[in-house]
Amino acid sequence: MAVRTFAAIDVGSYELSMKIFEASPKNGMREVDHIRYRLDLGTDTYATGKIGYEKMEELCRVLREFSEIMKAYKVEDYKAYATSAIRETSNSRIVLDQIRLKTGIEIAILSNSEQRFLDYKSVASKREEFKHILENGTAIVDIGGGSIQLSLFVKDTLAATQNLRLGVLRLQERMNHLDVKPAQYEELVDEFISAQLAVFKKLYLKDREIQNIIIVDDYLSPLVKKHRIGVTKEGYVTVDAYEKFTEMLHKKASFDVAKDLDIPEENIPLLYISSVLVRRIIHLMDAKLLWLPGVTLCDGIAYEYAEKNKIMVIDHDFEQDIVACAQNISKRYMGSRKRSETLEKITLTIFDSMKKVHGLGKRERLLLRIAAILHDCGKFISMMNLAECSYNIIMSTEIIGLSHMEREIVANVVKYNHADFDYSESIDYLTIAKLTAILRVANGLDRSHKQKFQDVKTVLKDGNLIITVDTNEDITLEKGMFKEKAAFFEEVFSVCPVIKQKKTF
Amino acid sequence: MADNFKNPEYYTNREMSWVLFDNRVLSEAKDKKIPLFERLKFLSITSSNLDEFFMVRVASLKDMVNAGYTKKDISGKTPIEQLAMLDEATHELVKSQYSTYKKSLLPQLLQNGLRVIEHHEQLSEDEQKFVDRYFMDNVYPVLTPMAVDSSRPFPLIRNKSLNIGALVSKKSGDKTFEFATVQVPSVLPRIIPIPSEKEGEKAVILLEEIIERNIDKLFLNYDIICAHPFRIMRNADLTIEEDEAEDLLKEIERQLKKRQWGEVIRLEVEDGIDKKLLKILKSELMINEEGIYRIDGPLDLTFLMKMYGMEGFDHLKTPKYTPQPVPELPAGEDIFAQIRKGDILLHHPYQTFTPVVDFIRQAAKDKDVLAIKQTLYRVSGNSPIIAALAQAAENGKQVTVLVELKARFDEENNIVWARKLEKAGCHVIYGLVGLKTHSKITLIVRKEEDGIRRYVHLGTGNYNDATAKLYTDVGMLTCSEAIGEDATAVFNMLSGYSEPLTWNKLAVAPLWLKKKFIYLIEREEKYALEGKGGHIIAKMNSLCDRDVIAALYKASAAGVKIELIVRGICCLKVGIPGISENISVRSIVGNFLEHSRIFYFENAGKSEIYCGSADWMPRNLERRVEILFPVENEGLKEKLMHILEGQLKDTEKAHLLNAEGVYEKVDRRGKVLYNSQDTFCEEAILAAKEKKENENHRIFVPETHHE
Repeated sequence: MAVRTFAAIDVGSYELSMKIFEASPKNGMREVDHIRYRLDLGTDTYATGKIGYEKMEELCRVLREFSEIMKAYKVEDYKAYATSAIRETSNSRIVLDQIRLKTGIEIAILSNSEQRFLDYKSVASKREEFKHILENGTAIVDIGGGSIQLSLFVKDTLAATQNLRLGVLRLQERMNHLDVKPAQYEELVDEFISAQLAVFKKLYLKDREIQNIIIVDDYLSPLVKKHRIGVTKEGYVTVDAYEKFTEMLHKKASFDVAKDLDIPEENIPLLYISSVLVRRIIHLMDAKLLWLPGVTLCDGIAYEYAEKNKIMVIDHDFEQDIVACAQNISKRYMGSRKRSETLEKITLTIFDSMKKVHGLGKRERLLLRIAAILHDCGKFISMMNLAECSYNIIMSTEIIGLSHMEREIVANVVKYNHADFDYSESIDYLTIAKLTAILRVANGLDRSHKQKFQDVKTVLKDGNLIITVDTNEDITLEKGMFKEKAAFFEEVFSVCPVIKQKKTF
Repeated sequence: MADNFKNPEYYTNREMSWVLFDNRVLSEAKDKKIPLFERLKFLSITSSNLDEFFMVRVASLKDMVNAGYTKKDISGKTPIEQLAMLDEATHELVKSQYSTYKKSLLPQLLQNGLRVIEHHEQLSEDEQKFVDRYFMDNVYPVLTPMAVDSSRPFPLIRNKSLNIGALVSKKSGDKTFEFATVQVPSVLPRIIPIPSEKEGEKAVILLEEIIERNIDKLFLNYDIICAHPFRIMRNADLTIEEDEAEDLLKEIERQLKKRQWGEVIRLEVEDGIDKKLLKILKSELMINEEGIYRIDGPLDLTFLMKMYGMEGFDHLKTPKYTPQPVPELPAGEDIFAQIRKGDILLHHPYQTFTPVVDFIRQAAKDKDVLAIKQTLYRVSGNSPIIAALAQAAENGKQVTVLVELKARFDEENNIVWARKLEKAGCHVIYGLVGLKTHSKITLIVRKEEDGIRRYVHLGTGNYNDATAKLYTDVGMLTCSEAIGEDATAVFNMLSGYSEPLTWNKLAVAPLWLKKKFIYLIEREEKYALEGKGGHIIAKMNSLCDRDVIAALYKASAAGVKIELIVRGICCLKVGIPGISENISVRSIVGNFLEHSRIFYFENAGKSEIYCGSADWMPRNLERRVEILFPVENEGLKEKLMHILEGQLKDTEKAHLLNAEGVYEKVDRRGKVLYNSQDTFCEEAILAAKEKKENENHRIFVPETHHE
C-alpha cells in the first residue's frame, strides 16, 4: 500500500477544523493541510440547547467546502467528530441527519471521555517524544472550554484521570458575572480552582512525583509555537521561563499584550485564565518542565485511524491505560485486587473460548474485562444494594477512552451480575446480555472469594462449555451455586456450562 | 528619542516626491543620448503619469480640503498647503514637458524626416484639400456637435476627453454669441498622415486641427468667432484613496452631500485661447484659476506613444529586446522535474515569462496535479494564463483563483475574465473585504508517488505576460516543503479560513509584514551598535511609510550603511546630520520599468535576502495582502546580489538623491560606464547562448556498457 490520504474533521464549540493527512508506513501520518474556520456553535447550544438556523446554514456551507477540499486532495477516507456544542444540543440527532443530507459528511459525536482519550492520543502521536517524556512522572493537562482533564502517568501507564469543571470559558463566564477587573483575575481564578485542585491532590495525586506537564490547549500552545516563549526545544518550556512569561503577561495592559503577541485582544482574558490555571497546576504538582506539543483533536483522530489501519507501529498500549484506569477506580472503592484479577482471568478465558458462539469482538472483550474489574464496586456504599450502587458509581465515574454508551454497557453488565436481567433494556441489549452471562458464570466460580479457581481451562464441546478447574480444594459451594448462574448463560448462548474438577496430587 | 526620528522636517511630502519622479522620466525625454523616438515615449509616459496623478492623488487632496480635513501628512503639511505646493510644481512640470516637445523634439523630428504640422493654418493648398476630404469622409460622420443656449444646458464634458470649444453666433441673429462644443472622437486615430510633397519626408497633423479647420461645417447657420481645444480632468475616482487615514472615510461619509462627484479639477486649454471662451468654460466647469493649464502645444501628449509606433523610424528606436530563455528550464522539459532539482530564479524581462505560463499550462494537463491556486491582480487582455486555468478546471483540477477587482482602472477588464473562469468551473474569489490582494503567488498541488508535493511560484510582478516584457521583476519557482505549507496557508486564509498558527518562511501583510521589516532593520541596528557592522540594500518602487523610515533613520544613526534603490516616491531625506548620513537613495529610470522589490540584510555575515510584492508604503504594509519570501539557495542569493550591485554601479540611468532633495545624475568622473539594464540584457543573452552551445556539442559519446 502506497500513500493514502485521510481527512480528520473536528466540529468544535467555536471552530471547525480539518486536517488532511497522508498516511504511509514510511512517514506515518504526514500533515498536508490544516484548515480552520471560526464558528461559534457553543454559545447557541449552551444558551438555548439548539443550534440556530443561521449557524446551521454556515456550518453546512463550510462542511460542504470541506468536502470539496477533500475531493481536491482525493481523500480516500475521513472521520468527522463533533464535541460538546453538538453533543449538548437537545436535537443532536436531527442536526447530524441534516448535516449528512446537506453535505454528505457523516459526523459522530464524541463523549467527553472519548474526546479526552483522542486528545491524549494526539499527544501520543508525537511518538518518540511522548515515549521519552513518560519515562518520568508526567501529567497531561487538557484544557477545554467547559472543563479540564487532569491525567497522571506513572511508569508509562495512565494512573488516574479526572475531569474538573474548570474550563477556561466556564471560568471566564463566572468572572463576567462578578464583573471583575483583569487585575483581580489571578486571585479570583485561584480561589475558584484551588478548592477543586486540593481535592484532586488528596484523592489522586497523593505523593506521586510529577516532573513533567503536558499541556493541550488552544491559547498557550499557539503562542509557544509562534513566539517560542522560553522555549528550549520546540514546544518545551521550563517552569522558570513559564513563570517569567506569566509575570510579563500580568504586568502589561491587555492591549499591549495583544499587540506584542499578535493575537486578537478578545483572546486575552482566556489567555490570562489559561496561564493562571497552568501556573496553579504547576505549583500543585511541583513540576519542572512543560511540554506544549501544539496538537489538536484532529491529530488524535489521525492517530486513531493509523492505529486501526495499522499504518504505524503503535508502541503505546492504550488498552492498558483504560484497564489501569478501571483498576484505580476499583481500588478507590476498596475492591480486592486479587479477586478482580481472578475474575478477570476467568471471564476472559470463557470469553475467548466462546468466540464462535457470541460473535463479539475485541472491544467487547475490553468492556467485559472492565466490568470484571468493577464488578462489585458498589459494596463500598452498600452491601445490600450492590447492583444499584455499582451501577451508579460506574455511571458517574468517567473512564477515559470509553464512550458514554460503552460505559453504560459496563454499568449494566455489573448491575445484572447481581440483579435480575431486565429484558426491556434499550441500549445494546444483546451485548449486555452476553457479557452478563459470562460474568455471572465467572462470578459463580469464585463464589467464596477465596480464589480457589486459579487455574481454569474451558473447552466448548457438544453444546457444553466444559470448565476444568485445577484445584484440590473443596468446591461444593461453587458447584451448588453454579446451577443458578448457569441458567442465564444457557438461555443466552444455548450452551450449558459444566464444571469439572481436576485434582492433582 | 524614537519620536525624534519622526520629526516631520525629516520627511518629504509624497506628492512632491512623485513630481520629482515624473521629472526624472522627463529628463529621459530630454536626454540627447537616447534615440529620438524613445524620447517621445518617455514624454508620453510623463503625460499619462500626470493624468493618473491628478485623478487619484490631487483628487484625493481636494476631497480632504472639501471635507474640511486638516490632518497633516508625513512632512507636516495640511491638504491645503500640499495643494498649493503641487499647483506650482505641476505647472512647472507641464511647462517643462512642452518646452521639451516644442524646442527639442519637434525640430529633431523634422530633421529626421517627420514634419508635424502644428496648426492647420500651416497647411499647403494640396494638403488643405486632403484634410478637408479626410474630414468629410472619416470624421464628420462620427462627430456630435453641441451648442448651448437657453433651451439647451451645458453638456456633460467627459473626463479626459479632448474637445473643441467654440464661440458661435447666429448668422441671422443679433450678433450675441453662444457656446458650442464638439468632442474629438477617440475612435479615430489622433495622428493623421498627410501625403508629403517633399521626397523622403513624412508629414502628419493631429485630428483636432482638422476638426478645428472644418468646424464651420458643423454649425452651418452660425458664424464661428473662435475655436480652441480644451480638455478636463474630473475627480472621477469614486473610491477614497486608501493611503489616507481611515478617519477620512468617515469624515467624507458624514459630509457626503458637500462633495461634488465628478468635480472638475483640471482644465487644459490652448495657450492664447479667446478670453470670453475661457470665461464660459471656467464658470460652467466651476474651476478656479489654479486648475487651469494654458498649454503651448497639443493637449494630451499621450498621442506620442502612437507616434512611437509609426513605421519607418526603426533607426531612431532602441532595438527591440527579446526576453531570453531560462537556462534551468529548457523548452519542452518537464518543468516540475526541473524544479525538483532545485529552486529557480527568474529575472524578467531579461528572461522570458514563458516558464511561468508553462508552469500553469503543464499543470493543467498533468494527470497528477490535484489543484492549482493563484492570485491575479492585473492580467493582460488575452492572457494565456487565464486560458490555462480554464483548461485545468475543465480537466477536473480544483482551480482556485483570487481575482482582485479593486485593481485601479482595471475593474471592468477583470470582471470579464473572472466570469470566464467561473464558467469553466474555477472557484473564483473576488477579493477580500477591505483589503486589496496584491501578492503574487501560484500554488500547484501534485500527488506524486511518495505523497503530495507542492510547487510554488512567488513573484514581485503581476501575472501579466504583456507587462512582463517591460517591467523588471523577479520570481522564484520552488517545491520547498516549508514554502509549500505556507502557500497552502495563504490560500486557506484568502478563502476565508483562519490564519495558520505559524508561518515557516513567508511573511504576509497586512498582518505580519511591517513588523518583520522593522525587525530586520532593527536587527542591523543592533549589530551595528555591537560593532559587528550593519548593511541594508533595499530596492523598491516607493518608500513612504513613516515607521519604516524612522527605523531606517535610527539604524543609520547607529551606523548601519543603507543603500536604497527607489524608483518612484521616496519620503526619506538623505544627509540629515545625525539622522540619515549613512543612507543613500538612487532611482533608476530606464527602458524597462524598474518594478522588482529586493531586500538585502547583512545580518552580521549571515546575510538574508527577501523578495516580495510590497513596497515600503503604508498601503502595502497595512491594507493589502502582500507576501515577502526569503531566497535561501546560495546560488540564487548571488544572482539577486548581482542585480542589486549592478544597480548600485549604474552610471547611466541612475539619479542620486542629494541632501537638498534634488535628484542628480551620477557623476561619471573616474567611473566605468555601466548601464545595469543593458548589462542584464547582455548577460541573459550570453547565459542562454552558453546553455545552447553546451547542448550542441558535437562529440559523440560511445556507449561503454552493453547488456
